[in-house]
Amino acid sequence: MVFPVAQRWLLAALILAWVASAVSSSIDPYFLDVVMGVGVSVVLASSLNLINGFTGQFSLGHAGFMAVGAYTSAMLTTVVAPRLGWHPVLLQWVFFPLSLIAAGLLAAVAGLAVGAPSLRLKGDYLAIVTLGFGEIIRVVLQNMDMVGGARGLTGVPAYSNLFWTFGTAALTVYTVWALLNSTHGRGFLAVADDEVAAEAMGLDTTRYKITAFGIGAFFAGVAGGLYAHLKGYLNPGGFSFDKSIEIVVMVILGGMGRHAGVVFAAILLTLLPEGLRELGSRSVPNPFGGAAWSLDWIKEMRMILYSLMLIVLMLMRPQGLFHRSERRRRGA
Amino acid sequence: MSASLLQLTDVTIRFGGLTAVSSVTADVREGELAGLIGPNGAGKTTLFNLITGVYQPTEGRIEFAGASTAGAKPFHLTERGIARTFQNIRLFPSLSVSDNVRVAFHRHLEHRTWQSWLRGGRFHAEEAELRERTRELLSLFNLERVQEAPAKSLSYGDQRRLEIVRALATGPRLLLLDEPAAGMNPSEKDELMRLIRFVRDRFRLAVLLVEHDMKVVMGICERIHVLEYGRKIAEGSPEEIRVDPKVIAAYLGD
Amino acid sequence: MTEFLQQLLNGVLLGAIYALIALGYTMVYGVLRFINFAHSDVFMLGAFVAWYSVEKLGLPTQSIGGGLAALLLSMSVCAVLGVVIEKLAYKPLRQRSTLTVLITAIGVSLLIQNVAQNSRLGFGPNPKAFPALFPSQQLHFGALTVSTHQLVVLGVALSLLGVLYWIVHHTRIGTAMRAVSFNATAASLVGINNDRIISFTFGLGSALAGAGGVLYAMNYPSIDPLMGTLPGLKAFVAAVLGGIGNLPGAALGGLLIGLVETFVSGTRLSTFRDAIAFGILIAILLFRPAGLLGKLKVEKV
Repeated sequence: MVFPVAQRWLLAALILAWVASAVSSSIDPYFLDVVMGVGVSVVLASSLNLINGFTGQFSLGHAGFMAVGAYTSAMLTTVVAPRLGWHPVLLQWVFFPLSLIAAGLLAAVAGLAVGAPSLRLKGDYLAIVTLGFGEIIRVVLQNMDMVGGARGLTGVPAYSNLFWTFGTAALTVYTVWALLNSTHGRGFLAVADDEVAAEAMGLDTTRYKITAFGIGAFFAGVAGGLYAHLKGYLNPGGFSFDKSIEIVVMVILGGMGRHAGVVFAAILLTLLPEGLRELGSRSVPNPFGGAAWSLDWIKEMRMILYSLMLIVLMLMRPQGLFHRSERRRRGA
Repeated sequence: MSASLLQLTDVTIRFGGLTAVSSVTADVREGELAGLIGPNGAGKTTLFNLITGVYQPTEGRIEFAGASTAGAKPFHLTERGIARTFQNIRLFPSLSVSDNVRVAFHRHLEHRTWQSWLRGGRFHAEEAELRERTRELLSLFNLERVQEAPAKSLSYGDQRRLEIVRALATGPRLLLLDEPAAGMNPSEKDELMRLIRFVRDRFRLAVLLVEHDMKVVMGICERIHVLEYGRKIAEGSPEEIRVDPKVIAAYLGD
Repeated sequence: MTEFLQQLLNGVLLGAIYALIALGYTMVYGVLRFINFAHSDVFMLGAFVAWYSVEKLGLPTQSIGGGLAALLLSMSVCAVLGVVIEKLAYKPLRQRSTLTVLITAIGVSLLIQNVAQNSRLGFGPNPKAFPALFPSQQLHFGALTVSTHQLVVLGVALSLLGVLYWIVHHTRIGTAMRAVSFNATAASLVGINNDRIISFTFGLGSALAGAGGVLYAMNYPSIDPLMGTLPGLKAFVAAVLGGIGNLPGAALGGLLIGLVETFVSGTRLSTFRDAIAFGILIAILLFRPAGLLGKLKVEKV
């Protein structure tokens, strides 16, 4: 039997994350931040892949769901938690995960609210509606004084650690994997392939699409909660269209609907900007003598490279960079 | 005479000003091999779409196994026992051959989607059983050898057959075939006719066939309904249809 | 009452600009069936071309001739740019899925925005004050105050709409455009060069967007590389509201969005005005997905 192995992998990943978080105090804080950011990206990209890749929809509002989750859990830990008088350890290890679940659930509700009515729409229309929804969330947050409005929400406790970020990442990866490697889960792929045929084969396509939206939004919400307790502050501008695009690019680069590819792309695209930033702070010797050439410009080129990459990828390899290898495995 | 499995009574559908199907009354009996023919644009595929719930009739009644199908969506009707193939093959191209069939089997599963997440004993038992049933079904149609290949990589004939296999996996009592012989050569057509008879006998279901190829229709159908301009102009055995003056006029006239 | 008329006028002006942008979306959708995300950035570039023509080329400000020259220059540059974008990014994708083209369009949009924000390659991220292109003066009609700039916006927008109507309905190429948008395959069968029509459509739509950018900038104090995003999205909503692919629909949709937004701005909900357009979009897609003047298509099974 193959399947129990997967659960063992999940368990192993969780234990590893636990051990890593226990020794994290000896890790360079900057490096630690980057690594935790990778975990959050993996959650975001895998969950969006469920919607955009496996079920063949196209959401441009993932940052919106993320925002719902981020603000929900941050409000819980900054406003509700202090009144409980719990011990800090309890707060981080009991209250915080509960707040993440609440974040996920509220985001899922938002996901269902957007998903249910807009599922009749296809492709670019759905993209626009989800984009519009993300913008509405942002505008609403900007206008809510309770959460700091446009100034943002500060003083969010740093509860995110290696265990929570990587544990969630492992759980998300497992969930998407388990869902797809089942007969029910193949239904998602069937809906993506041909909706009319799927309906004719007895698949309730609407339910499948809503489920994908709900689960995807749930994990985006959890990722938002992790993000909030990683950064320590939130502002609505951080959940703009650009953030959604960033997640979309991960999914596209990994190859829409390719699980391992998308996880890999999420890791790569989170590390890449850090690498570019590092590179940008250096300079190369001037071969003609004189002052060394600064590589400062690289920092500014990040988003330009991103967008160029997106265009070139679509023109040359619309199936994503890591397409071929996994396709073979899925057939087996 | 056996009972009607599918009964259409005065079924009409209009798209804007266009009446695509007009007051059609017809039936398909339990276990029958029925044919639906007519010139291009006669409304055959529209009728299929009405029967399978893709469209709702503007007027009239459709009953399947004694119950009205009004308001039912295609997947409801599949659950109630109507399966179909499509005129222009609609497989799940990126799924493997066996996954195409497995997905169609899904309504026989006892476990729910969330149980795929827990992966308990029941999940594994059911999935294993399903794999076995899928393999059996595929081997009946000699598709077992390609079961891991993506559906889109199959030859045209194999794709047509896989579509029938996939429809059978839903466990239908009525199978609708939309131009199954399209694009086939004479020997493939003979093979198809054998296949359709085999399917009917083996799975004890009724078949309703839309087909342009007269040899196929006349060769296997026990009863034929003829449509022209959305109206039914004749019904009867192949012998009766062959000599019906209205049918001859429809095909040869104007 | 005066208050109402003043708002009505502002709404119509804003709506006219949205209409100009919306027409570009709708025309491109008509011939290629996809949402040209980069359209809003062409709009932004339109404003910047006018800014450059004054600041760097030294066109006179506060003059009718200078203003018109800047406007025409903007429109021409944008038209060329639209054609180039289509040729480089979209044409190679002609047979691909809608999603591939949509993602490419998003890529193009991000590329333009980021190059524009880069201080070495583009304009830099900081807002720039936009000069008064035309002679500016406040005119009083009773209690109603109208600036000459507002009159220019109205005049230019209406003339462009008229010109567009004439091109689409009374020229050979306009007829060909309508044919391609009705049925591209059939159009190519009767000898229409689809690629040429598509190029022309992009050029035309981009020129209108460029003009929209200049007119928009004239009524706002400053311009920046991200200024296109929101008006672009709202104009897109306008196109959907009117029925995408439908030219009068786009104009009507633009007008309605402009009016609604202006009147909402005058109420306590003014901070939500950017969310209104999206609310309208979601409502229209749910209740009348074909838009006000559009026709619904049924998928063939």
